[in-house]
Amino acid sequence: MTELLATKQLTKHFKIARGQVVHAVDQVSLSIAEKEIVGLVGESGSGKSTYGKTLLGLHQKTAGTVTYRGEVLPQKYQPADFQRMATRMQMIFQDPYSSLNPRMTVGEIIGEGLKLHYAQDAISIRDQVAEWLERVGLEADHMSRYPHEFSGGQRQRIGIARAMILKPEFIVCDEPISALDVSVQAQVINLLGELKNSMGLTLLFIAHDLSMVRYVSDRMAVMYLGSLIELGPADEVYFRPRHPYTEVLVNSNPEADPDIERQRPSTSIQGEIPSPVNVPAGCRFANRCPKVMDVCREITPELIPLADLDRQVACHLY
Amino acid sequence: MSLSPAQQSDNGAQPLLQVSGLEVEFTTYGGIVHAVRGVDFEVNSGQTLAIVGESGCGKSVTVQSMMGLIPMPPGRIVAGSARLRGEEILGRNIINGKDIRGNEIGMIFQDPMTSLNPTMTIGAQIAEPLQVHRGYSYQQAFTHAIELLEMTRIPEATKRARQYPFEFSGGMLQRAMIAMSIACKPAILVADEPTTALDVTIQAQILDLLKDLQAETGMAIILITHDLGVVARLADNVAVMYAGKIVEHGSVDDVFYRSSHPYTLGLRDAMPTNDPERQHRLEPIEGSPPDLFSPPAGCGYAPRCPYAMRICQQFYPEKFPQSDSHYSGCWLHHPQAPQHPERLYFKAENQ
Amino acid sequence: MHQFSAADFAPLEPHESLHGISRPSLSYWQDAWIRLKANKRALVSLFIVGLLLTFTLLGPLMWPVDPGAQDLEQISQPPGMDRSALIVPDYQPWDGSSERSDVSDLYLAETATTQAVRLKWDALSGAAGHRVYRNIFPVGPEQAFGVPLAEFFDNNTLYFEDRLDLRPERYYYTVVALNSDRSLSGVFVTLAVNVLRVTSLTDAQERGLVDGNTNLAVGDQIDLALHPLGTDYLGRDMLARLMAGARVSLFIGIGAPFLFVLFGMAYGSIAGFLGGHIDQVMMRFADFVVALPFLLFMIMFKIAFGIGPGESGVFPMLVALVILMWPATARLVRGQILQIREQGYIAASQLLGAKTNYLILRHMIPNTLGVVLVTITFAIPNAIFIEAFLSFIGMGVAPPTPSWGSMSNEGIKTMLTHPHELVLPALFISITVLAFNLLGDGLRDALDARMRNTE
Repeated sequence: MTELLATKQLTKHFKIARGQVVHAVDQVSLSIAEKEIVGLVGESGSGKSTYGKTLLGLHQKTAGTVTYRGEVLPQKYQPADFQRMATRMQMIFQDPYSSLNPRMTVGEIIGEGLKLHYAQDAISIRDQVAEWLERVGLEADHMSRYPHEFSGGQRQRIGIARAMILKPEFIVCDEPISALDVSVQAQVINLLGELKNSMGLTLLFIAHDLSMVRYVSDRMAVMYLGSLIELGPADEVYFRPRHPYTEVLVNSNPEADPDIERQRPSTSIQGEIPSPVNVPAGCRFANRCPKVMDVCREITPELIPLADLDRQVACHLY
Repeated sequence: MSLSPAQQSDNGAQPLLQVSGLEVEFTTYGGIVHAVRGVDFEVNSGQTLAIVGESGCGKSVTVQSMMGLIPMPPGRIVAGSARLRGEEILGRNIINGKDIRGNEIGMIFQDPMTSLNPTMTIGAQIAEPLQVHRGYSYQQAFTHAIELLEMTRIPEATKRARQYPFEFSGGMLQRAMIAMSIACKPAILVADEPTTALDVTIQAQILDLLKDLQAETGMAIILITHDLGVVARLADNVAVMYAGKIVEHGSVDDVFYRSSHPYTLGLRDAMPTNDPERQHRLEPIEGSPPDLFSPPAGCGYAPRCPYAMRICQQFYPEKFPQSDSHYSGCWLHHPQAPQHPERLYFKAENQ
Repeated sequence: MHQFSAADFAPLEPHESLHGISRPSLSYWQDAWIRLKANKRALVSLFIVGLLLTFTLLGPLMWPVDPGAQDLEQISQPPGMDRSALIVPDYQPWDGSSERSDVSDLYLAETATTQAVRLKWDALSGAAGHRVYRNIFPVGPEQAFGVPLAEFFDNNTLYFEDRLDLRPERYYYTVVALNSDRSLSGVFVTLAVNVLRVTSLTDAQERGLVDGNTNLAVGDQIDLALHPLGTDYLGRDMLARLMAGARVSLFIGIGAPFLFVLFGMAYGSIAGFLGGHIDQVMMRFADFVVALPFLLFMIMFKIAFGIGPGESGVFPMLVALVILMWPATARLVRGQILQIREQGYIAASQLLGAKTNYLILRHMIPNTLGVVLVTITFAIPNAIFIEAFLSFIGMGVAPPTPSWGSMSNEGIKTMLTHPHELVLPALFISITVLAFNLLGDGLRDALDARMRNTE
């Protein structure tokens, strides 16, 4: 499969007061193929959202590169760069309540992309907006209404229409369903799946719900404190995790099945997720890892492919 | 006639908490919202009842009104009763000389970051209920608070008790809140979405903690959540709520393995399972919950239900018992109902 | 148990429009307007503000009296519609003789008029002399006689003519017996006198109170100029002055806030959007302006601009207010911008290729308008009050330009005798400031609810 997007050692640090640095994303290398769905999971402080935003240029890169179809993207984006990439890469946002401008009508929100890009007349824009509204499961005459009149799930659909109207190839979905109810989550997931197939999209699906990520993705990547620690086919990573953290993560994920839950042992993980400020040397998971060794505290493990599996793991056990 | 699933507990004792016919409404500038429209459930010692539903179903309002946490000018308890060991607690703060809130019934909330006072040390906050309800001196209470922190598995409890909430992470704050709520050894602990704001590994720790504490103290837990995984993990009994009413009520096995209400089934179908053998397509429930400004006369789920019948629109379903511990509020269980959809559970004699 | 038929269990036709939305679509402003209308207090305030604007703008058209014109016949006239005066002969000095006599110890020699009040009394017992007092309040048990008008230390002068500042009111004259050491004895007698408004023939003709052609004779009743709200100590019509003062107060009170809010908005948006060092520098400068002592600088500006003769001083005051008050708005808007910058829809627009100008003008500023509107509505009463206060202490607009504040200051002098000169302008200031404040409250509630937009 042809590679669509790749990041090499992508790093993003934030400086906060008094010389402290937040290592939000540290040297993440990931390659995403055309028409693939890559799921990115992690808990708070893992840096998954920051990774997605840095990928699209919303954050300036501290180090590393992002290549799109072989072309290296700028380190810092100017409005002209966004303009150029807008028809290729887009994003669906997490919070349906703050991702739509409350003062604009739905029609204006969805049509904004067209207005900023193509010198089209109002009628043509309106037709396209109507078409997209129906395509995401709403009605054409909703376009004169305001975001506050819609539910969370409906607003998320509006956000999807906004992202898709410029027909991009690659979309970063930053926790698109976390703020929604269970039954509505399924609606939005199915819609994304449908659109992905009909438009031949490539998705980076960022979420913290492991079950949903496994359901949706082809491949799954796990991040912890800014580092990519495991990567492989979604089902494989979920059912046969290799990295101790992935194991713990999967075991902590409650299943909607009482028998399974009754048999599940108590969680083995201790302690809290450390802060990504001034991260120590060595493996970041060392202080909580049930299988920790001495070398783990000194040397940071690299993400290496495993010999016999289509898998990459960053752990000294391998 | 309502059947209470917990009436058949082992020792046949009276249930610890019995709520019947609870109705709560709110007066807002857009009209009256009928948030809770007649809810019955029971809780026994040492058992966990999970109240499951999506946003707007009324699960939070139910327990909050029971605890007297709903401001009564916009809110109003229209009808119903809640009896703790036989004594009515709705609208009352004290029974038999003992406080209810904080003492007999403890509560923990969803967002630990905003549920604790940022200007008091953690130790002082945990000590507060002991001082108020048990008359401990500050020193005594503080020492006890440190013990409670240890009970909730916070490392370095002595040092931590003197710290302020901003120095704690989310998971630790939730533990502190649990410590505070069990300080007076309440008979019931109400947990309103206790792990929704937490990461999944921390959630696992907190759920394990709750289970262990329950085993140690024998307290009952009422768990409010929308996450079926959490329910499966922790609950003994489950009440499924939709549009202000309980639509299915039974033991956790009943509700998960013998789902007899289309909404329960719909919820389960809308979630991905991690069964390597079964790959099912997510089936969302189309549409959205009804407007509680003018609630429907019939079943609130009817507009979204694939099996809806005319009667569903006209009359609210009765409670049809599936077993001693399990009932479903759905007309499909009426003897005259023709269809028996395959995926729903029906009592043997009805088929 | 209810009996059902088989038909009841027939399948339900699928519902259309699961996504139906029942209520009509409302924009942010329409919704805010509905909320505002529901708030009774705010509605009343809005009405009062409307009345005020009508008063200021249309009032002078309906009551075209020159606020500077003096009506010397009616100085410090209280509010009222009574304005008739009798024509009498010109003043002649009095010798104490009278045609009347009375059994009372103290009596009027003739009808009391605004020209003269002539009193006569019989000698009081044991009096070595007499002193005459006048009061506008009745003499009560505490024996507050009032203003001493004259003293006669002999027993021969038993008459007095009062010409001091007579008004068509009710006075209470008291004659007190004096002891030989000129101290007051306890013996006194009081008379209540109603003074009639008169004007002499010559005065009437000279001051053009009637046309020259009309034949005036003694004994005619004429109507003096109407002053529904009375006049001030210089005889100027209060209503006209209040209207003129309203113009000044509202011009500064609305003009200054608009200008400094506009400037503050531009300043704050730029600082908030650019962030980093530029933001810091800009905000430190704003802090500097805030740190300046307000009153001192207002006075300094006034002196620096210099008020020439004939100038009103309105523009310098406006400029001074703008220069000193913009930082609060700048901070507020900057805070809003910083918050808005983090919202998803800004990033979404960036990704769609929006340029910086577009982002600020189309996305950020419209979302700050609610806050800005509330700021303006509170800034207005603040500015009105500051102007009134400064004029009150003499540091505001220069006379003769009327201002409610300077009118209040003038009214203090006659506070006890003619309270209307103080009460009326002070009342106007209070009501205006209160109305704008309540309106601001109402607006903030109406707009806030929309801003706190939750599911």
